[in-house]
Amino acid sequence: MKRIIVEYEKCDGCKNCSAACMQAHRKTAGTIYDLDLTDPENESRNVILKDAKGQYKPLFCRHCDEPECVKSCMSGALYKDPESGHVFYDETRCGSCFMCVMNCPFGVLKPDTVTKTKVIKCDFCVNAGGEPSCVASCPKKAIHVEEVQA
Amino acid sequence: MKYVIIGAGVAGIEAAKTIRQQDASGDIVMISQDTFVHSRCMLHKYISGERDEKGLDFTERDFFDKYRVHWKKGVRVTNVFPDKKEILLDNGQTIAYDKLLLAGGADSFIPPVGQLRQASNVYGLRNLPDAQAIVKEAQWAENVLVIGSGLVGLDAAYGLLERGKKLTVVEMADRILPMQLDARAAMAYQERFEKAGARFVLQRKASQAVCQPDGRIHQVILDDGEAIPCDLIIVAAGVRSSLACLEGSGIACERGVTVDASLKTSAADVYAAGDITALSGIWPNAADQGRIAGKNMCGIAAAYTDTYAMKNTINFFGLVTLCVGRVKEEEGDLVCIREDQNQYKKILLKDGRVEGILFQGNIANAGIWQYLIKNKIDVRGIKKDVFDINYGDFYHVGDRGKYEWVIESL
Amino acid sequence: MNQCYSCTTCKSADKPLQEFIAGLPMETSHHRVESQSTKCAFGLQGVCCRLCANGPCRITPESPRGICGANADTIVVRNLLRAVASGSGCYIHVVENTALNVRNTARTKGQIKGVNTLNRLADLFGIQEEDVHRRAEAVADAVLRDLYLPEYEKMALTEKLAYKPRYDKWKELGLLPGGAKSEVFHGVVKCSTNLNSDPVNMLLDCLKLGISTGIYGLVLTNLLNDVVLGEPQIRFAPVGLRVIDPDYINIMITGHQHSMFTFLQNRLTDEDVKEKARKAGAKGFKLVGCTCVGQDLQLRGAHYTEIFDGHAGNNYTSEAILATGGIDAVISEFNCTLPGIEPICDQLMIRQICIDNVAKKANAQLKEFSFDNRQAVTEEIIDEILDAYKARRGKVSMNLMKDHGNSQTLTGVSETSLKQFLGGTWQPLIDLIVSGDIKGVAGVVGCSNLTAGGHDVLTVDLVKELIARDIIVLTAGCSSGGIENCGLMTKEAAALAGPKLRAVCEKLGIPPVLNFGPCLAIGRLEIVATELAEALHVDLPQLPLVLSAAQWLEEQALADGCYGLALGLPLHLGLPPFVTGSKTAVQVLTQDMKTLTGGQVIINGDAKESADILEQLICEKRQGLHI
Repeated sequence: MKRIIVEYEKCDGCKNCSAACMQAHRKTAGTIYDLDLTDPENESRNVILKDAKGQYKPLFCRHCDEPECVKSCMSGALYKDPESGHVFYDETRCGSCFMCVMNCPFGVLKPDTVTKTKVIKCDFCVNAGGEPSCVASCPKKAIHVEEVQA
Repeated sequence: MKYVIIGAGVAGIEAAKTIRQQDASGDIVMISQDTFVHSRCMLHKYISGERDEKGLDFTERDFFDKYRVHWKKGVRVTNVFPDKKEILLDNGQTIAYDKLLLAGGADSFIPPVGQLRQASNVYGLRNLPDAQAIVKEAQWAENVLVIGSGLVGLDAAYGLLERGKKLTVVEMADRILPMQLDARAAMAYQERFEKAGARFVLQRKASQAVCQPDGRIHQVILDDGEAIPCDLIIVAAGVRSSLACLEGSGIACERGVTVDASLKTSAADVYAAGDITALSGIWPNAADQGRIAGKNMCGIAAAYTDTYAMKNTINFFGLVTLCVGRVKEEEGDLVCIREDQNQYKKILLKDGRVEGILFQGNIANAGIWQYLIKNKIDVRGIKKDVFDINYGDFYHVGDRGKYEWVIESL
Repeated sequence: MNQCYSCTTCKSADKPLQEFIAGLPMETSHHRVESQSTKCAFGLQGVCCRLCANGPCRITPESPRGICGANADTIVVRNLLRAVASGSGCYIHVVENTALNVRNTARTKGQIKGVNTLNRLADLFGIQEEDVHRRAEAVADAVLRDLYLPEYEKMALTEKLAYKPRYDKWKELGLLPGGAKSEVFHGVVKCSTNLNSDPVNMLLDCLKLGISTGIYGLVLTNLLNDVVLGEPQIRFAPVGLRVIDPDYINIMITGHQHSMFTFLQNRLTDEDVKEKARKAGAKGFKLVGCTCVGQDLQLRGAHYTEIFDGHAGNNYTSEAILATGGIDAVISEFNCTLPGIEPICDQLMIRQICIDNVAKKANAQLKEFSFDNRQAVTEEIIDEILDAYKARRGKVSMNLMKDHGNSQTLTGVSETSLKQFLGGTWQPLIDLIVSGDIKGVAGVVGCSNLTAGGHDVLTVDLVKELIARDIIVLTAGCSSGGIENCGLMTKEAAALAGPKLRAVCEKLGIPPVLNFGPCLAIGRLEIVATELAEALHVDLPQLPLVLSAAQWLEEQALADGCYGLALGLPLHLGLPPFVTGSKTAVQVLTQDMKTLTGGQVIINGDAKESADILEQLICEKRQGLHI
């Protein structure tokens, strides 16, 4: 399967990955220029964490081998696609219980900010041909996609 | 090899899936009273009318075909005969097994107060048929009484409020959701429920409930003498493992079926998973048990080790809460609170370890707290505000790009 | 393996140039486009603020205000005002030096080549001096006096130079500028940390800076230079890398200040200097045009046939010009001298000389030009260049491109030469516009950049789209350099025009794209527009005239753009000027401006779509005029 590999030492915390993620998942069509950066409905699936020493630690969904989010999903909305190995989310099935948020051991997931009805979850930009926008947008090449053994 | 699974809840479903992944040729038979596979965590959405029966299904499309599971639905197991390796159904049929999984779940507990157990308008909320009956009653019921304000009680209350019912919730404790929340967090939900039309009567319990000639209870008298008129009563006072079919089987039971770490019961080739074990009442653990039991049934040794169950998420009226670990404050706790108009967060620290968290309003990226709590990680060495601790403080990219937890010698 | 640096160069509208650059053994800006292709989204939208130590602050849904409380509108417009003030400062620096050159030339009784222009200015300014030198000095003084006024005193020449309906509009809106230098000062104060937070208030300052930039930095710079350096004359000339003749000592010139070459360009053709060149083994000295100062020299090329080889290319062609090996020295005095030419100059032993301190390049020698010291410094420069020539020739291999560009590009077009060409009146042009043979006029101006499709890609594609729609194109700036090298300013380019415009061009023997020269000549386009409006008794926004800075690059372009908006003209940009993070800025620039000045910003990166929009606007304006 393909996984986004993170080399945190290279991260400058520019948040371009987050902006790219928002752009990739916005509801309206448009360019990065007119992405509304003040609209809380535009949410990033990734987040740049910072440790106590100030080092940036980029947090990207691992599409885990044994995804705790899928294991805790009571609606069937989250599932691991046997072909790609990626963990996908079917918003229409989601029961908004957020047990997935509770169970992700790395804290990747979060409820959507505005409605608290869906989970904000990396889809590996499957609608854009499976080339993650965040990776394409990283000026430091701190993230890249690698084929890892499933 | 013939695998028989009793129950079509998440434990049974996950077990069947696991067995099929391990054993491509074995027969898998699933027996359930349920005629729809459904997520019990979504019954409130059925009551509210947001979803129909099919909308509660949590399995993959064509689950039974895909995993080649023969599902006998709408039947009840009346007896288990471990010696003969057979079970008996309420339709008189006998089914033999090589491996048996008991995943029949639990039943609502109706306390022996007045004639609650006898009345025809008193329901628990455990299964889809409960929810279906409640919806049916709700068509004409004007006043609804909910006894108990745990998650199930509030699920029922939420669903019925969405239907515009007048509703009273009686709770013994001094706050709602007493097992999960503190007073501050509970009040936030109470206010929302009240705004939606609910009335809460706290620190009271039902003391009298008499059936009228029509077989129904029309009012419940509380311990302070207040009479609450009601057309429909929902009792949310907990559940009890469904052990009826095990009577006389010789399978050891306590509150639930007794199992070892591999989820094997006292009887050979009989396993148990989910609420019937009374190990934990929450979904992810039941699912886990199903998978582990399934593996063991296929001869692959696996142990149920992640038994941590003191965790809940709550989401009513757009207010989300995550609580993990201990809620009640104890002496010696360092109680940390962060609160603003959008969130209320409380962390209980003892000897540098997080023993409990209660996050309300904002639970983004909060998955790490369960890990910190159940692994009793000392966070004193992390030189930042405890609320700012995140996975970045334990960050390691390991083999194949997987995240791993690194606990530095703190 | 071949010797090319890397094959990841960006596209160019100029295909032979693209191939040439792709094959070069050194890195150029064209190579760096890919490695810089990841753009910071916050920067693109203009919502990154670095104005204080709390920053950089960026606007996100979780953080809709900076630490200080500045929201997206404040951050964006503050950044824009900074850019516009800075861009204005650049042009005001240019006009200041130009006016000083006129004054110094006049005081020393130097040659006044453009007496007609001098008289035109003197008439406008109300100066009556019999003596030509005293007249020139008085004109220069009048300009300098305005430039140095405080911000609270309005400049006197604005009213004399501006079209009256426009002047009245500006007055009504409170946009009349005080001293041009002080306005820049005012602008940078205003957008500093925790001062102004009102986006509309700051946008009005942008317009005001646009006016001082346009009238002084653009219009007057051209005319003052015409006074000393000569007026443009229409002619055909070679363009492109072909102009480099390796038999000469070649000096590539870059910048914006033709006035600074006044002395040098004459001195290089003096017999004693030519003799020095011959002794070194060359036939003499040649100036090779690059960027806007090259355009200026090309425009006035009729006066400099001996020293000027021709215009080789625009800012993003400069590296290629150097890479031919045929250039021995670079003299630069302003932007757009790319820092990227430095390693190439080092590698090819090309001497870099800067003659204006403001544009000192890291590895260049600073030979600051001052009028008093002009003789000595010019000799020093000549000796440096001779040195360089001797040191490098024979050691550096030539990689010439003798077929690049074309030999017959129309140049020398100005507000006076064009009118003269039409018979001393605009009536023929007006008739053609009224009859619809020319649907409208588009000023395709400004810079060249590498990101709007590639080097000159959007500009050239847009020009092709416009002429195909019978819209005549007037150009000024580095855009001209790209368009001319692509052949659109040759007579043959008429074939690319729509049938009506083609017929007009073929009848008159002109291309469908007329080159007014440097970006400064946007001021000349404005004069043409004003004179057309006067003849028609309408205000500028009513003319079927649109502007496009399709591949705007720099802060100066933003100041120019503000001038266009103040004039009430539609202004097309290929890329947004880092403002889209502010809903207010977008609303004001693209919508509210229509009622404010009559102008509007149109942002579109697609040539065809842009042309459709501009054509639509032209048609609407035609309807408004009932033609």
